[in-house]
Amino acid sequence: MITFDGVTKRYADGTVAVDRLSLEAPTGEITVFVGPSGCGKTTSLRMINRMIDPSEGRVLLDGVDVTTIDPPALRRGIGYVIQQAGLFPHRKIVDNVATVPHLLGWNRKKARDRAMELLERVGLDLGLAERYPFQLSGGQQQRVGVARALAADPPVLLMDEPFSAVDPVVRTSLQEELLRLQAELNKTIVFVTHDIDEAVKLGDRVAVLRVGGHLAQLDDPATLLSRPADDFVREFLGRDRGIRRLSFVPGQEVRLRTDLTAPVSAEVAGLRAAADPWLAVLDEDGRPLGWVKVADLPASGTLADVRPAPYGTFVRGRDSLRAALDATLLSPSGCAIAVDDAGRAEGVVTREALNEALDRVAGGAHA
Amino acid sequence: MREEPLVRWDWIGRNWPSIQSLLEDHVVMSLVPIVVGLLVALPLGLACVRWRGIYQPTMSVMNVTYSLPSLAVFVMLIPVTGLATRATVIVPLAFYSLAVLIPAVVDGLGSVPDHVRQSAVAMGFTPLRRLLLVELPIAVPVVLAGLRVAAVSSISLVSVGALVGRGGLGYLFIDGWQRQFYTPIIVGVVLVVLLAAIADALLVLAQRLLTPWSRARGTT
Repeated sequence: MITFDGVTKRYADGTVAVDRLSLEAPTGEITVFVGPSGCGKTTSLRMINRMIDPSEGRVLLDGVDVTTIDPPALRRGIGYVIQQAGLFPHRKIVDNVATVPHLLGWNRKKARDRAMELLERVGLDLGLAERYPFQLSGGQQQRVGVARALAADPPVLLMDEPFSAVDPVVRTSLQEELLRLQAELNKTIVFVTHDIDEAVKLGDRVAVLRVGGHLAQLDDPATLLSRPADDFVREFLGRDRGIRRLSFVPGQEVRLRTDLTAPVSAEVAGLRAAADPWLAVLDEDGRPLGWVKVADLPASGTLADVRPAPYGTFVRGRDSLRAALDATLLSPSGCAIAVDDAGRAEGVVTREALNEALDRVAGGAHA
Repeated sequence: MREEPLVRWDWIGRNWPSIQSLLEDHVVMSLVPIVVGLLVALPLGLACVRWRGIYQPTMSVMNVTYSLPSLAVFVMLIPVTGLATRATVIVPLAFYSLAVLIPAVVDGLGSVPDHVRQSAVAMGFTPLRRLLLVELPIAVPVVLAGLRVAAVSSISLVSVGALVGRGGLGYLFIDGWQRQFYTPIIVGVVLVVLLAAIADALLVLAQRLLTPWSRARGTT
């Protein structure tokens, strides 16, 4: 556990970067420091590995004041990932990853084996091991940066805007990779970002800091989105805070109807009397093909003769209510098709069912 | 009247032993200043990076030194180092190479990206190890570029020493000019240019071998 105990950082010219910060980053969790530039988030992070020492207060690592530990020794026990990866341009990828093991005096073979193991773990092709950093893409370099930080298996990982210099698609995959790794490794991670979406996606707990280094709010993401502490936090969370909250409500919360689907082989004649205006057509395996409008059905034949309208799906066991809402907006029927992991339809979520679920969420927000 | 050929090969044949010793002298007098210059430029360059304030004064002194005509400096040094000695040529050339190499070392260390330096700190490098294992290796391409300039200019400047009695291959220019006989001049020019080309090629080769990572480097 990392503890900030009344930490202030004041520079010689009088500027205060961090102001009486007190918080805990629990062991095995991701704590995100988020805020606009000048809020002291990076300064706070760097006080953990003594790249900056506090003017007042203490930073404790498992109860030990970090200023009592020799900086190089302290840092070798703390992984660090920065924005442009900070890879050594003159060293091959495998040697970059083995940097801290080398500093710790591991023998060559053990350090190298460990480096290869980590490259694999962060999803990199081992063929890249003998290349130099300039031969890798930004996203690959960032993965190497993460592998390097993990090389000596440090219990603590500090990440300073590690994914902000890569394009959005790569960023998303790196974020998911981090969550996957964290599920296996359970490191104590402190993650700095200015991107509230990233904070909410990755953090077990999110600390929102405001300019001048004041802690505005520290909460889990769902609470942060539903109950922002003040106007600053509300504004920082942005206008679509309500929509984003739905990301934290599991898709199972919503009621399903199973009477609104029909197999593609069904005779049209038997369906024209249906009470609901739209039906979801499924193929032989139960996968959705699209929507048909009951009123427009021909007089005879099967559903295979009808051209279905577009549809949206969400995976009920995995996706959130936000994905379900999105799926309803993609369908002319205004309904979302819930599917299982294999893509087979489990049922249909109607507007009414979604509204009920949204009402429950909104009710929770006011509780 | 039979025309004198431009190059008298028989003269080269007869004088080869003395040409060879002039060549050796030339190599020594141009190499020593570069080596000494590099050995002195490294600590001075490091000091200039560590204490930014001394960089400008150091460079002012170096640039003034560089602007002094080499012949004038050779002549001024004669009372100290003696007439027709290697030292009279080597000492000024060492200063000239310093004027090129100190900024090369400073710029080389300045070429280390900030995020690389910070990640070295964050990974627990001690300052000395960071310098030796991260910063100096990354500075190598820029330092070698400076070394190429210093080497070529040193090789060419040694010839001027002939005017104070010690100029390696430069002696051939004076000899040929005094006798209105072109062969030694041509031999001298060809050998000086060859020497410079070989030195440059060796340094390029050294850079290829030492810094395989710097070829086709991108923006990072």
